[in-house]
Amino acid sequence: MSMTVIQGAFELGLIFAIMSVGIFVSFRILNIPDLTIDGSYTLGCAVSAIFAVNGKPVLGVICALLAGALAGCVTGLLQTKLKVQAILAGILTMTGLYSINLHIMGDKPNLSLFGMDTIFSYFSFLPEKLVYLVVVAAILLVVVVILYLFLKTQMGMSLRATGDNEDMVKASSINSDAMKILGLAIANSLVSLAGAIIAQYQSFSDVSGGIGMMVVGLASIIVGETLFGRRSLLIGFISVIVGAILYRFILTIAIWIGLPASDLKLLSTVLVILAIIVPVVKDAIMKRRERNA
Amino acid sequence: MLDLTNVSITFHKNTVNERKALDQVSLHLDSGDFVTVIGSNGAGKSTLLNAISGSYEIDKGKIVLDDKDLSYLKEFKRAKYIGRLFQDPLKGTAPNMTIEENLGLAYSRGRRRGLSMGIKKADEKLFREKLSQLGLGLEDRMKTKVGLLSGGQRQALTLMMATIVTPSLLLLDEHTAALDPKTAAQVMNITDEIVKENNITTMMITHNIENALEYGNKTIVMSQGKIVLELSGERRKNMTMEQLMELYSNTAHETFSDKMLL
Repeated sequence: MSMTVIQGAFELGLIFAIMSVGIFVSFRILNIPDLTIDGSYTLGCAVSAIFAVNGKPVLGVICALLAGALAGCVTGLLQTKLKVQAILAGILTMTGLYSINLHIMGDKPNLSLFGMDTIFSYFSFLPEKLVYLVVVAAILLVVVVILYLFLKTQMGMSLRATGDNEDMVKASSINSDAMKILGLAIANSLVSLAGAIIAQYQSFSDVSGGIGMMVVGLASIIVGETLFGRRSLLIGFISVIVGAILYRFILTIAIWIGLPASDLKLLSTVLVILAIIVPVVKDAIMKRRERNA
Repeated sequence: MLDLTNVSITFHKNTVNERKALDQVSLHLDSGDFVTVIGSNGAGKSTLLNAISGSYEIDKGKIVLDDKDLSYLKEFKRAKYIGRLFQDPLKGTAPNMTIEENLGLAYSRGRRRGLSMGIKKADEKLFREKLSQLGLGLEDRMKTKVGLLSGGQRQALTLMMATIVTPSLLLLDEHTAALDPKTAAQVMNITDEIVKENNITTMMITHNIENALEYGNKTIVMSQGKIVLELSGERRKNMTMEQLMELYSNTAHETFSDKMLL
């Protein structure tokens, strides 16, 4: 495997880490299975790409972040105020977003950004080989630090408590509905941000690019947790990031040993299932051994 | 001061299962009153507390606490004024957050929760002090996740959280019922201390008739969604457990025979 391939996997891992941190917020912290992800990821790609085509790549990334937050708000409102089931609310938003994403990309299923300026063009003063790595790592770092600090504020603690014990939250005069909407907005804005960066990183946006992103995020979270366990918030973030990078390496190795790219989604699914069942099977074997001992 | 006027709640309205959980309940509590609530299962005790806290929306009637009309206010808004403990010790705390984080959340009750740090240095000292009052050694485990504590410890912590900002009203729904007898007595003592010290208006549901007479200054008996007996003053002071049991079964019996006649 060449150095370029390894570095590429690392860069992609960092970008998907941003998305996985977002999914960590909804899935682990809020304890909500939010399926908006597949839609909001593509939303990020689409917004970022169309702005880049029009010569405004940075504005594109910022708008993608906001658009993602808006998508999260829609799912949140459906879930809380309109009492739609969590999973269904996500599916509805995701499906609706498919049409919206097409419209954003000018009713074309894909957009190419070849030769266009991207956010990375602004950092040409860096050594050419490091531009992507540095920019992506910097964005990830800023995102995680801000999110971590936010979750330590009073509002952030209220948000964490909402996912932990809603009864307690209501009894403590916290508006749990507002916290859920806020949490889903944050989660989807990060997912959308990752989509936005990917589009400019790969100079390409595809309307079906988001399919399976939920599983990618879950895989990252679970791979990380298998290594680190579920402990404090800080370790949680670190584990998600490491998980996302490792996951990307697993995919890269799979392609390197000759797995066709079309089988990657299947591999992702198998990986998630394995990560979930290994502890269960281990537990069962241990118990049987104890009984027979 | 708490005033309930003709508060009614009907479950499963317009179905065969229609049941009047609260039937025109009126109740007046003065500031500092500590009322114990007894009654058989399904008498409407928990429904009464849930109606006051806003967990259940009332059909009719009026709930006024310290001149504020709470009747149709959302649950989380009422929680500014009302502290609550549930029977299940797991319900009152966030298990994956630390003791100090839980207290931090409770300490900001009723205030806007903004972007200032969740736990400030000055708060930590107060939390430590408050926790040491419980006498459970929790003050040395501030960074421990609450999920690792025992039921009794969690319930004591919940009590601390419900009262750290003195509420206008404290609602206790059999909050010691799930604890072992020793721990239950301990939590009950701490409850009494805190309520007396801060002069908090309190309603406590209990199935322990002894506790019902021992604690507080009033006792109400509920049956079939109604308050059937209010005891206070001399009459309550001279009441023995046996007499109360008898009174209680008499009232229960009356309503039962009423039903038979119908």
